[in-house]
Amino acid sequence: MAAAVFPAWLALQPGARTLRAFSTAVSPATRAPTPSPRTTERTSKYERPLRRKALPPRTEKMAVDQDWPSVYPVAAPFKPSAVPLPVRMGYPVKSGVPMTKEGNLELLKIPNFLHLTPVAIKKHCEALKEFCTEWPAALDNDEKCEKHFPVEIETADYVSAGPSVRNPKARVVTLRKTEEWEKNKTEADMEEYVWENSSSEKNILETLLQIKAAEKNLEVNKEELLGTKEVEDYRKSVVSLKNEGDNESTLSQYKESVKRLLNLT
Amino acid sequence: TMLKGMTRLISRVHKLDAGHFLHTGSQAPQNVAAHLDNQVPVESPRAVSRTSESDPAKHGEQHEGQHYNIPLQDLKAVFPHGLPPRFVMQVKTFNEACLMVRKPALELLHYLKNTNFAHPAVRYVLYGEKGTGKTLSLCHIIHFCAKQDWLILHIPDAHLWVKNCRNLLQSTYNKQRLDQPLEASIWLKNFKTANERFLSQIKVQEKYVWNKRESTEKGSPLGEVVEQGITRVRNATDAVGIVLKELKRQSSSGIFHLLVAVDGVNALWGRTTLKREDKSPIAPEELALIYNLRKMVKNDWHGGAIVLTLSQTGSVFKPRKAFLPQELLGKEGFDTLDPFIPILVSNYNPKEFESCIQYYLENSWLQHEKAHTEDGKKELLFLSNTNPGQLERLCAYL
Repeated sequence: MAAAVFPAWLALQPGARTLRAFSTAVSPATRAPTPSPRTTERTSKYERPLRRKALPPRTEKMAVDQDWPSVYPVAAPFKPSAVPLPVRMGYPVKSGVPMTKEGNLELLKIPNFLHLTPVAIKKHCEALKEFCTEWPAALDNDEKCEKHFPVEIETADYVSAGPSVRNPKARVVTLRKTEEWEKNKTEADMEEYVWENSSSEKNILETLLQIKAAEKNLEVNKEELLGTKEVEDYRKSVVSLKNEGDNESTLSQYKESVKRLLNLT
Repeated sequence: TMLKGMTRLISRVHKLDAGHFLHTGSQAPQNVAAHLDNQVPVESPRAVSRTSESDPAKHGEQHEGQHYNIPLQDLKAVFPHGLPPRFVMQVKTFNEACLMVRKPALELLHYLKNTNFAHPAVRYVLYGEKGTGKTLSLCHIIHFCAKQDWLILHIPDAHLWVKNCRNLLQSTYNKQRLDQPLEASIWLKNFKTANERFLSQIKVQEKYVWNKRESTEKGSPLGEVVEQGITRVRNATDAVGIVLKELKRQSSSGIFHLLVAVDGVNALWGRTTLKREDKSPIAPEELALIYNLRKMVKNDWHGGAIVLTLSQTGSVFKPRKAFLPQELLGKEGFDTLDPFIPILVSNYNPKEFESCIQYYLENSWLQHEKAHTEDGKKELLFLSNTNPGQLERLCAYL
């Protein structure tokens, strides 16, 4: 009987998964209610409810362009008979292959996102659209958002492989909001070096002012002095020196910029 | 053939004689040098390792790698303190003081020659790994400035002022600060030796009262202040403070050029190992000497230059491998010295290494028979990694 049906199935589904078909063909589809001569059996064979023959799995009848969200509309455990993919999972025995999906506990244990295919998500969005309002046109840049809504909560999701589904890093949630005490942040707390208002800026300003005074050139003002290219180079080199630490390139850059600034040949 | 054999034997005996000579005495190295001259074609070692130009002002790139001689009486006058101890021993052994002319010093000399005395004093910081020659480069610069008749304010090792000091007194001038009479008086003595001629020329510009009976009037020479500090050890620290203040004020007037040379300047902003009687630690700025010295290395005066070296040797609480400016100076030090010109002093390049070996060979310092062979030199190069300090220590065993 099985052999006769085999080519018919193949004809039905051109992209035939021969292996699967083979396996279903091979799997014991029917169990004839042959009584096994056991003494512990209480009921006679005719009283026992007849078990139905197992139907072929639903996957046989699935078209390639079917509506998948209707197969898995919600989060549901993995049903091997409803998922037409020849998925294998499990650690293989010696010279073996991972187990097939039928009766595979591993596939049941892990979470699946079969209910969240892009098509499904698009449908959700379409459905939700009628409940949404427009983004306020006035909030068109980041600063305005910050100003009106200073509280920001940042969550992060991680995709990782490991023994557990959960990733401990995903538990970290940051709340961003400027608090009163943050105004007391001192220079020692700064994460990176900011040149404005630093002692380096003051020093260089002093030095340059004195140089100018020596040359009897008293009509320069602060912005002009700080705006020259040499000072700009110097600022860059000091920032890189402080942020990156000492190494040959930062030190030589600093040296060159100081030399140019102080007019040393 | 027999004659040839004889001559060869005789020349070998000569050589042996020379060897014996070297072993026995360090007298008259010139004789031995002359002997060697006869034996070996000599123009290459001499030209490589020595130059006859003994005025640092005339040193240029062509002298790079060569040793120049400092006359011994100059040495006493210019460097009463300040030469590294091993160098002092070497001077005593060879009976001559020779410094190698190297790139960092040449660079600094170039800057110093072009100093604009109307501009604020520029700070130059020599840094480098241990044993590369920072202190000796500083000495080269000091010699140059001394020859050019600058006033030399040389603190040979600032680390000595932040560790192992006994007899700390509370400062009479400012109750918050502490005096170090011993260190101050030693320094004053050496300062006097180095700058004898200036002490009568420079006059103090205000009156200083030491105690009920003694005071220094306005207009009296600086030498009096120094004398006061040396004789009355209690006031030595204050005397140092006054000297520094007066020099800073007056260098701008142009009577003299001032060179501030501090070795181990990172001691000024580090930690000290000193504690008060109640075992609370003392910060560097609570020491009057350090406080006044910090004022000297700022660039709010003109009429001179400030040359500093960073040194890990002798520093307290700093890891051994640290040599970069920010590591040793810390944030406070860097911010105070900024902007400065950092000058790296590195290990010997091949030419300098060759020159150093030749110098030792000439002074018959290397007695090992393989020392002058190519293989021997390669071995020394490898062992010392061309580090001058390490090479000197290795050669001491040979």
